[in-house]
Amino acid sequence: MKHSVNRPPTPDAAEDQGKEPTLQEIINVKLIESGEKERLMELLRERLIDCGWKDEMKALCRAHVKKKGRNNVTVDDLVHLITPKGRASVPDSVKAELLQRIRTFLMSAAL
Amino acid sequence: MSSKINGHVSPQPCPHLLDFRSRNGPKPFRALHDCIRVKPPGGCAAIRREPSEVPRCGTCEESSRSRLYACVACAAVFCHAPLLHSHASDHALSIPGHEIAVDVDRAELFCCACGDQVYDRDFDAAVVLAQTVNATATTSTSGSTAMQCSVAGSQPENLRKRRRVDYRPWEPDSGEHISRGNQSIPLLDATNASLVSSTQQPWGLRGLNNLGNTCFMNSILQALLHTPPLRNYFLGDRHNRYYCQQKNGAINGTKNSRLCLACDMDAIFSAVFSGDRTPYSPAKFLYSWWQHAANLASYEQQDAHEFFISMLEGIHEKVEKDKRKSQSPGGGDCCIAHRVFSGILRSDVMCMVCGFTSTTYDPCVDISLDLEPNQGGSGKSSSAKSLNSCNVEADCMHPNQNGGISTLNGCLERFTRAEKLGSDQKFFCQKCQVRQESLKQMSIRKLPLVSCFHVKRFEHSSIRKMSRKVDRFLQFPFSLDMAPYLSSSILRSRFGNRIFPFDGDEQDASNDLSTEFELFAVVTHSGRLDAGHYVTYLRLSNQWYKCDDAWITQVNESIVRAAQGYMMFYVQKVLYYKESENQGTS
Repeated sequence: MKHSVNRPPTPDAAEDQGKEPTLQEIINVKLIESGEKERLMELLRERLIDCGWKDEMKALCRAHVKKKGRNNVTVDDLVHLITPKGRASVPDSVKAELLQRIRTFLMSAAL
Repeated sequence: MSSKINGHVSPQPCPHLLDFRSRNGPKPFRALHDCIRVKPPGGCAAIRREPSEVPRCGTCEESSRSRLYACVACAAVFCHAPLLHSHASDHALSIPGHEIAVDVDRAELFCCACGDQVYDRDFDAAVVLAQTVNATATTSTSGSTAMQCSVAGSQPENLRKRRRVDYRPWEPDSGEHISRGNQSIPLLDATNASLVSSTQQPWGLRGLNNLGNTCFMNSILQALLHTPPLRNYFLGDRHNRYYCQQKNGAINGTKNSRLCLACDMDAIFSAVFSGDRTPYSPAKFLYSWWQHAANLASYEQQDAHEFFISMLEGIHEKVEKDKRKSQSPGGGDCCIAHRVFSGILRSDVMCMVCGFTSTTYDPCVDISLDLEPNQGGSGKSSSAKSLNSCNVEADCMHPNQNGGISTLNGCLERFTRAEKLGSDQKFFCQKCQVRQESLKQMSIRKLPLVSCFHVKRFEHSSIRKMSRKVDRFLQFPFSLDMAPYLSSSILRSRFGNRIFPFDGDEQDASNDLSTEFELFAVVTHSGRLDAGHYVTYLRLSNQWYKCDDAWITQVNESIVRAAQGYMMFYVQKVLYYKESENQGTS
């Protein structure tokens, strides 16, 4: 990669451009910087495998590919296909656990 | 649109990738190499322009997008959500030559114009290299060798070393032709076909007398007598007890050298396959084994698995030591026991702080599996109900959802799962030079000819200071595919979507052999830990036979399916001869 002319300027801190970062943004950055986001992702992956969610999504993708043909499916197609169903079928217990973890993190980070 | 390279399907690049490669010289992703960061705890690869960068879209400045891509041409990062807005696509369309990008969190190449993942061998090689970088110092843990995960992306496929001999069908020479005509009678012709089929049971079925709590030995012997490669070896006179050097003391003249467990096995094979159906007493074998395993020599009840291991060791030790052959059990060249049962397990320990991975290989003659600590709880079954509405095929159900039934596949999946080592088991990380918390993952590097699975049916309670038997039912399949548990599969799922020949693939003998196995023997245990009874079920000509010491009866397969499996023996499907339907059936 050419670190020169072609590269767009690194975005300055949002405040300089007069744009308030959303709460979601602020929290996300804090999660990433502390490494907590990575840990949460690992936890989420484990939970979604345990409850069979990953296998469900895999099966949906396989069925779709079988129907359309292996060479006629793109990653974007599959993401489009499973995103609504995937979001809807995450078990409440998993959501609750992650929310609790985030809540705990935020409380400790605010101090 | 994809080509096969030695059995691995390799996706063809899209026109934009081809274009990019042709315009950017031999190493177009060179600059990306510096941006590959290995993220703990699992050691996944990510792309970051600076080590602590928080990637955000250059257009909308959001870092909380789920898919962020860095343009490979100009290093700019954009979000990609095709339905809402895709600033990555905007970028790709606005500047020609900037279609190829890399997923910042997964380190996978993507074509923003095609909206699909693309693969590049050199790039994948670089990512895997970064994930398996070794420190300068190497160490070998006691008893096993640490091997460096070598990167062989540059080695052309046709130079892969293979021990291979071209197949030539056998033709008898003139001498053999004559003796063949003189002394041989056709096995199956009109006259003696009736002879074969008149016997109610297949060859080699003979009861074994219990010599005093020796059902542990009888059950294992029955399984071994019908282990196809072992049976073929002994019936093919590969170890002749009359000419055995070891037993005749030709090697060393001490009294102990007269003992040869393989000779005793040969005697049992001859007796059991002789056609005589009266129960046989393996007294000589028992005596020999007592001499070999003096600490277990008694009429007390013993553990069948312990006997199995001890027996294989006995055959290994007493075999004529051929200096030309390698003695390492993993190679399987040392003795028939290891040739049949020995596989290689791979153990990866990943530092959760820096992602550095240490790999060791160990031979094994069987795999001991833990049963699930507790059956699928109510929490899991309720989530299963909510997922059922998605219309999924039944065979895709996760094992845990089977109403809480433990399965052999579930045990194998748990065996090969990455697990966190406890904080009291911190592993010394080469890179960090200090003990760190680690993740450990097992996988199978090389499959044996015969896989023996041993179910750990005992629980030790440290509170009560006693062990007890776990009677929980374990479901086991008649046909088993070991592909998901191989190192190549485990590595593939750890490293993500790469086209890359891992070192596990190179000399992987299982590439040539299939990964499909067929069940042929089940050793079951009933009773308590200190007082119980072993029974073996054998599968011959697709019929199941119950071998209960001296009593052999034909049983329905449903009986076998419902039995409490303690040891299950699977043979590679290519070695499992489905004998002719005529033989042995009335």
